[in-house]
Parts: sequence; C-alpha cells; structure tokens
Amino acid sequence: MALSREMSNEQAFELVQTLLDGPENRFPLTFNSDLPRIRELFHAATRNQWDPKTDVAWDQLDPERYTDEQRYAARLYWSRRAWSEYGAISESPALQVRFGVEQRPSDMQLFFTIRSQEEARHAEVCHAMAERLGGYIDKPVQNLFQGSVATHGVRRAALNAEIPLEGIIAALVCTAEEIAFDVFRHLDDVTRDPVAKQIVRFIMRDESRHCAFGWYFLEAICETLTPEQKKMIEQSVVTMVEKVELNGYHSSWLAPENPASRAEVEADRVTYEAGLGSTIEEAEKPIFIATLQRIRQQMKALGIDLPMFSHAKLGTV
Amino acid sequence: MQSANGQISPPPLSLLVERRFPLEMNVTLPQIRELYDSGKAGRWNPDRDIDWSGLAADGYDDAVRQAARRTWSRLLWIEATGLTETPALIVRFCMETGREIDPKFFLTVRNTEEAWHIECFDRIAQAFGGRIARPADRGYESVFNRGLYRRVLDSNQSLDSYVAVHAAFEDGLELELCRTWRRHATNLTIAAVLDRVIADKERHAAFGWLYLASRAPHWTAAERQLIATELAAHIHGTELKGYHCPWLAPEHAAAEADADAVTAMAGLGAASRSAEEDTLADYVGNARRRLAEFGVTLPGFETNRMRAF
Repeated sequence: MALSREMSNEQAFELVQTLLDGPENRFPLTFNSDLPRIRELFHAATRNQWDPKTDVAWDQLDPERYTDEQRYAARLYWSRRAWSEYGAISESPALQVRFGVEQRPSDMQLFFTIRSQEEARHAEVCHAMAERLGGYIDKPVQNLFQGSVATHGVRRAALNAEIPLEGIIAALVCTAEEIAFDVFRHLDDVTRDPVAKQIVRFIMRDESRHCAFGWYFLEAICETLTPEQKKMIEQSVVTMVEKVELNGYHSSWLAPENPASRAEVEADRVTYEAGLGSTIEEAEKPIFIATLQRIRQQMKALGIDLPMFSHAKLGTV
Repeated sequence: MQSANGQISPPPLSLLVERRFPLEMNVTLPQIRELYDSGKAGRWNPDRDIDWSGLAADGYDDAVRQAARRTWSRLLWIEATGLTETPALIVRFCMETGREIDPKFFLTVRNTEEAWHIECFDRIAQAFGGRIARPADRGYESVFNRGLYRRVLDSNQSLDSYVAVHAAFEDGLELELCRTWRRHATNLTIAAVLDRVIADKERHAAFGWLYLASRAPHWTAAERQLIATELAAHIHGTELKGYHCPWLAPEHAAAEADADAVTAMAGLGAASRSAEEDTLADYVGNARRRLAEFGVTLPGFETNRMRAF
C-alpha cells in the first residue's frame, strides 16, 4: 500500500489495525548512537534554536507600506504557510512514535523531538506574520482549495505497519521537504520585505536539517533493502509527487484549475510582486523541475528508479 | 488476539479522524502559551550548559559507581517514556476537534526538553560504568511498558482524564521527586543537571494543572468520576508497583531500591526511602486538595510498604 491522501471531512472515528497493536516492549533500552550523522543533526538543532517571538525583527515590518490588496494577498499566503507547517506538528510526532515502537536508532527519535518543535516555530511565525499583515485566515477562502492543502496522509501512514517507514521518509522528507527547501531558497532570492525575508531564512535553516535527515537515513539503510522494498519506496515517492505535490500542496499554480486555485494563484502573484514572500509559476517552474530531476538522480544512486512525471503546466519531467 | 510470545494483543485501535479547518491558531489559553514562550526562552544545551568535568565519576568507589549507574539507568527508563508518549499526546491534541493550539505548541517544547534530559541521564550512567539496558528482574519491566502512546491515541480514552493522570498528577510527582533528589545531591554536575531538569519539569507539571483548570468547569459528574477512577488506577498500578519509587516494590525492584539507597548516601542524585515517602505522601495530599477544587475526589491509599496517604 502506498501513501494515501484520502481523508474524511467530518470528525469521526475509525477502527484500524496499527503498528501500535502489539504490547510495548522497550527493553533492552539503548541510546547508543547508531546513526551519528543524525545525532549530530540533533545537536546542531539544539545549538541553533530560535524564537519567533524574540529573534524576528518585527519592528522592521511596516504594513502601511503596502496596499490593501497586497496586505490581503500576503495574509492569505502566510496563513496558508501556517496551515502547511501546522500539518507537520502532528505528522512529525506520528513518525517519532513509529521510530520508538519499531526500536529504530535512538538518534532518529531524539532528532524528531526538536524537529517537531521547529515545525511549531514555523507555524507560529507564519501565523504571527499573517496577524501583523491584518489578520490570520483560519481556512481556505474557497472550500475547493481544501483538497490541496488539507493533508498528505503521512500521519495515518506512519501508524500503518503495512507501509514501510523507508517509503514514508523517502516520500515525505527526501521528496516533499526537498521540494519545499528549494522553494524556500528561491524565496530568499525574491523576497524583499526584510521581515518576510528573515522568516524565510529562519525556516530554511531548519529545513536544511530536515532534508539531511532523510538522505542520511536512506543512505544508511539502502544497502540492506531488497528490490521489493526499493519498489515500495519508489511507489511512495510517486504517490507523493503525483497526488500531493502536483496537486498543489506546496505550489498553488499546480493545483487543479478551478475558481479556488485561481484565486490562490492570484494572491501568490500579488504577494510576490510586493516582495512579501511567495512566488509565481514562471519563476518557480524551473526550480520545481530541477528539484525533481535532482531527487531522481539522488534516488537512482540508492537504487531507486523514479519514473517521469507529467503535469499540464510542467510537461513531462 | 494472542501474539507469538503468548501476550494478549489489544483490539484494533479506535483513531480519531481529523477535521483540520477552520484552524484556530490564535492564543486561547494564555497561561499555557506563556509556558511555551518561557520554554523557548529558557532553551539550554546539555553539552554547553553543564560542566561535565564536575562529575568526577572515577573518584567514587566501585560499589557507589555501580549503584549510580543503576539509579541513572532507571531514571533513563522513566524519561524515555516521553519519546513515544509526548509525540502521541501531540497527535491526539491535533486529531481531536476543538482542542487548542497552545498545548500543541507547548508539548513540542516539552518533548525536546525530555530529549535533553535523556542525553544527560545517559551521559551520567555511562560515566559511572555504563547504561544498564533493562531492570535486574524482568518482572519489573511491565511497570515501564505501559503503552501510553497507544492509550492516548485511543479515541475511547478521555483526553482530559489522560492529562489529569499523566500530565498533571504524574509530572507533578516527578517534579517533587526531582526536588527531593536535588536537595540531597552533593555532586556539582548532578546538582546542575537536576537544576535544569527541575526548571523544565516545573513547566511540564504546570501545563497539566493549568489545562485541567481550563477544562474542569465543563466536566460532567461522570467525567469527574472517570478522572478519579483513572487516577486511583494509576496509583495502584504504576506508583505502588515501584515506577518512581522502587522501594515500594521490593518483590521485583529490590536491586534498583538498593542502588538508590547507596546513590543517595553518596549525594549522586537519589534520596533515602524515608525522604521519598514523605515527598510522595505530601504530594498526593496536595494533589488531592487541588483535584477537589475541580470536583474530583481522590480516595485514600493504603499499602504495607508505607504509611497510608
């Protein structure tokens, strides 16, 4: 089974067999560093903590410099970023539970404790930016866009014993986060507002460690994987690209054409032109394509062969 | 369902299905947001902020070193609970419609602090001869293998009751025991570690009690009774089984209790049985009074291992 983005719109219950169904057995308990590069990521994150409340130069933000249209568009953009980061606040801990239950190297659990905190900081800072621009918006303006930003199903997959952890990490970290990181690097180039730029840089610094985690993990285990396992990883990555990324999870211009996605794209354009963050299709497209190509190359070196992907706005990549 | 090793597996898990939007991210519990902010402001680094040279483990005789490594290994087994329980609690808060953003933010900081505690405890155990991977008596292991991560994700488990038992009561008890160990610690490095841990656990315990205070006005009588029942079950099934105080369970934790006595005498981060008994009894008494303010009646407890409390 590959990753799924199916999700009910109602608060409901579901009875599911999960990898948590066995009794806990934490012993023998070890905290040896079996993946020292990941332990070092934990230590680096500990050294490089920041606080959205005190480390961002909020006094340099002057909302009055911008038009009403620009402020509204930027509110929408930073609110959407907050929703996206919020998703990781529960996805990251779900993966951490899995590391513990599967008794994966303790380095992974330790790193994910601070990774989750970083995701909280990102949600906090994006929400704060939206607030200062006129007010955080608590849901997509048009319901149609919820399908693009609601979830990418990682939390459910993390608790599903039938979905291999390696596939989730390859899809979520080495693919989705890699794409997000490259977009952040691009945003650093095109964002002119000093506060928006500072936020982008803080987040990008954390995301670089998040991406490194995924590749360090895959590199450490790739030689132990069977061809079937590599095929499963490939399927998970394909699902993440086709069903999530190419559906507009990170980039609204990739979402299916409808009035909602057109409104989001327009808000992105206004935000971009104001230098308040965000980007546009013309600027982001070559970056997105280059990232996908690089991911394919890096996966190939690990014995994972990704197919070509097609999208109306990208062609075949 | 029965697993290969003969243990009974639980039935399928009843998981909540998330409804994300509208996504409230404004502050609704300001005192808990303040805990989150003070946690970020109080961030520390075990490697940089602790003077590890003061540990001087080689200066203690072998019996003391062996005792200290067992004491700190056991504290490690306890603290390791947070590596699966706290993330599961965050997931539960995120899945349940209407739960506030402030606890979600706070719990991410709590989990990082638990990771730093683990690094410190592990480093101490290693310095005194090496971490011990499991209890001396296998019968003691079930006290730690509580499966809290599964319990909190189960939609049949009341989240408020879970917070009452594990975030308010249990974290509060851990805080008071840490303070007791700190009062008896003479080793400079261990005192410094415990000072950091206490500062963090003050926030952890405050979170639980503040959250209860925000929820209690809305509880029904049945919910109050459920909380009292689950608290009593926790005290009988976990505390009196020696989870925090091994001297309460000499039938399977004698090695750990003996080690703590030696560690306490050496000032290396434990306390005598009588000091821990006072701490436990006083804490439960205080907790009983606080719970009564929320309409929750905690019963009295009797055991032949300590005075009634």
